[in-house]
Amino acid sequence: MTWKDGVADLFQRAPAGLRGRLPAEQRADLRYYLGRYRPWEAGFDRPPPEPAPGQVTGPPDFVGIGAHMAGTGWWYRLIADHPGVTSRSDLPVARHYLTRFITRRFGPEEVDGYHRWFPRAPGTITGEWTPSYAARPWVAPLLPLACPEARLVFMVRDPIDRLLLGLARTSDSRASQAGDHMAEAVDRGYYAAQLRRVLAVVPSDRVLTLQYERCVADPAGQIAATYRFLGLDDSHRPAGLSRPPDDPAGPVPPLDPGTRRRLADLYAGDVADLAGLVPGLELRRWPSFAP
Amino acid sequence: MRPPRVARAAFRRLSPRTRGALLRRAGLFAPWEDGYGLTPPAPAPGEHTGPPDFVGIGVQKAGTSWWYELIAGHPGVSARPDLHKERHYLSHFGTRPFGPSEVAEYHGWFPRRAGTITGEWTPDYLAYPWVPALLAEAAPAARLLVMVRDPVERFRSGLSFRLAQGALPTEATEALAVRQGFTAASLRRVLDRFPKEQVLVLQYERCAADPEGPLAATYRFLALDDGFRPAGLHRSVNVSGAKLDLDPEARRRLVELYAPDVDDLVGMFPDLDLALWPNFAGDTGDTGDTGDTGDGGPATGRRDGAVTGP
Repeated sequence: MTWKDGVADLFQRAPAGLRGRLPAEQRADLRYYLGRYRPWEAGFDRPPPEPAPGQVTGPPDFVGIGAHMAGTGWWYRLIADHPGVTSRSDLPVARHYLTRFITRRFGPEEVDGYHRWFPRAPGTITGEWTPSYAARPWVAPLLPLACPEARLVFMVRDPIDRLLLGLARTSDSRASQAGDHMAEAVDRGYYAAQLRRVLAVVPSDRVLTLQYERCVADPAGQIAATYRFLGLDDSHRPAGLSRPPDDPAGPVPPLDPGTRRRLADLYAGDVADLAGLVPGLELRRWPSFAP
Repeated sequence: MRPPRVARAAFRRLSPRTRGALLRRAGLFAPWEDGYGLTPPAPAPGEHTGPPDFVGIGVQKAGTSWWYELIAGHPGVSARPDLHKERHYLSHFGTRPFGPSEVAEYHGWFPRRAGTITGEWTPDYLAYPWVPALLAEAAPAARLLVMVRDPVERFRSGLSFRLAQGALPTEATEALAVRQGFTAASLRRVLDRFPKEQVLVLQYERCAADPEGPLAATYRFLALDDGFRPAGLHRSVNVSGAKLDLDPEARRRLVELYAPDVDDLVGMFPDLDLALWPNFAGDTGDTGDTGDTGDGGPATGRRDGAVTGP
């Protein structure tokens, strides 16, 4: 353990109240100084943990690509509950690996590096769910290089609800760049544009688009469809099926009618396009866009 | 009251992130920050307010400060030094109600002397999808200016700039820098609300290589006397500085990412001179560093250098 690891460890063990006294900006600076980057930060270079005895690594069998604040953590847990799936609790569900290659080379070594993040027991499948993959336009072209056989899962949610929940999450960028923070949140809701980028490089029968509101209304039917899509036995009934966990950002905040209309205008074209791309999309579940 | 020199020097030695945090704690906000007061200052004696006559809407890291200063230098233009060129007013209304009182408040940010025109240039507006609708409501007659630049070079410059300004090195910061380069997609949202004749698209590389023609075209577009020659014509502002390294394979992927948008942009504005964007110049095969000076070749478009105009 280096001295930096020691300091980071000490800091991590300090009471949360004490850590919280240091402003967010300085906490981030301290983290970077100690070489502690998060998976979605460019400096993250931690190698994957060793596979456990009997485990093998390889390309992921499935990759969740979106969307942020659309119940993807809940759905991943339901998938991981299946006995035919390997999911290790010491690995982040969102590997964020592919988002790190906007200025860096992505060649065979980087593809191998990605595969090492996916240990699995023989006879099982494994995967990840990074909700920002779909929203980052540079990721789609990497998918056929990194995991040409993987099945992709995209969970979408009423883009206005998604936007409001995304904004409710506190972020460093919010204070310093209010518009950029907003633009980032708006951008994540253009699902059809994102899906089109993916469908340009991945055959449509390898992409499953799920609707969050439909999954909430009929979790058993939707998880069975998800299991079938992943080649798993669809009779398994996972724990925690009946109820999605509360949104991490709390309930969807209220919105004045004029602003809702403007936001609905902003997304209307993309939602109409999505309805064409995803025949099972039930627009009646998105009141601002209901026909 | 100005702080002592020692304190100012010590402050400058802090990281940009810490400086920003301290200023925000002291209640001092920049126009693009969340806590910025949106109430405009009172007009000076002899000034009146109203909707802006022109609004520059894009793009970041394309010499817009330089071009704004050239416009502001014209005797027919009011530009108060205490008002930031980037008013950023509309940036704050993504999910906030925007009605007549906000429109009036926005107009309050544009004091001008009688017989002059005035405006702003917020390069982020183009990348904010909610802004065109607000702009059409708040300033439907304003003339809009967009300075475009090779999106790959703009990305490098933009990302370096953000990181130097203290943005966290996250994928969100990278995504922002990428997003700002999809100029055609953003312009389509603007053209849904404004007639094409009300939008002037300028090409940064052409302006940098030979500013006189594009500047005269800009003055004409704003109905100003185009015979005026301002100071600082051959000095571009705020575009230099270190740019981040881009792996050649990553550059190729970025070029592929932007190629459809660049095609669309050229389709909309055929006078755009792609010879000045070697990354996209077709079969030249040159994808090397084009630098910041825009000297990628002779201009082949219109002699006045504007890509489009009235």
